[in-house]
Amino acid sequence: MKSFSTRRLTYLAVLTAVALTIFVIEAQLPPLAPIPGIKLGLANVVTVYAVFALGPGQAGLVLLARILLGSLFAGGMTLFYSLAGGLCCYLVTLATWRLLGPRLVWACSMLGAMAHNVGQIAVAVAITRTPAVAAYLPILLVSGIVTGVFTGLCAQFLLSRLPRPGPPGRGGS
Amino acid sequence: MKHTKVWILVTVLLLAVCLAGWLLVLGGRAGSATAQIYQGGQLVRTIDLSQVEQPYSFSVDGPAGGNTIQVEQGRIRVSHAGCPDQVCVQQGWIANGVVPIVCLPNELVIQVGGDEAEGGLDGVSG
Ligand SMILES: [Zn+2]
Repeated sequence: MKSFSTRRLTYLAVLTAVALTIFVIEAQLPPLAPIPGIKLGLANVVTVYAVFALGPGQAGLVLLARILLGSLFAGGMTLFYSLAGGLCCYLVTLATWRLLGPRLVWACSMLGAMAHNVGQIAVAVAITRTPAVAAYLPILLVSGIVTGVFTGLCAQFLLSRLPRPGPPGRGGS
Repeated sequence: MKHTKVWILVTVLLLAVCLAGWLLVLGGRAGSATAQIYQGGQLVRTIDLSQVEQPYSFSVDGPAGGNTIQVEQGRIRVSHAGCPDQVCVQQGWIANGVVPIVCLPNELVIQVGGDEAEGGLDGVSG
């Protein structure tokens, strides 16, 4: 792995902190489905932003740090739901970001949010061993599309305004 | 693939399909009102809700302190639970439809409607 400059490391740490903050605030919101652990996936905005701004590798690092730290805060089954939702969103973003480009960040984010919902429902079905839990998928997808487009537009706006950090391993101390 | 208009159309279509699916799930079906109670993936009890004369309660053990389930004519709910989140209690009564009561900490699922063989998602067109 490349060694990061202090500047880059700080940037990644700040992104992780932002994602973690969104994640913790989201945990306080009333649940959409009576399945604890299932989330809107607002923290995925950082994943989408990081993939576009920093590339897949560092976005993956930020995502893993957020999931592991977030699960420490929340406990319980959160780790499984976060891993499933976060990784599904990450993989779909990776599959689409080059294809769609910077003008369609919101579409990437929407597809990622839907993948997040599908991943979390899959975990819920596995944990409860009850396929009927999948009945919640449509309402979660509706919320996923709406929040995915909204957070994607936020990420798109930030990408066009925020200065990018320098390439890894270089830049200031 | 790169056109914003195409993607707006795709978004609207996806939203419409999911909304339609949501309405179907909410509608459920008003047919048989049989409640199935699962704990740890096992069917532990089946109740024909239309045959309930007097309201009654019973307990189901679970890893997070178990649940107390209350039954009335035509409907069922979790009245008390040992779980930390109490989401199952807050969900209140269910009478029919496909949306089950779930208590994840106790691995409890209460489903009203179709038979197990139908997977609970069948009959949404009815
Ligand atoms: Zn519960």
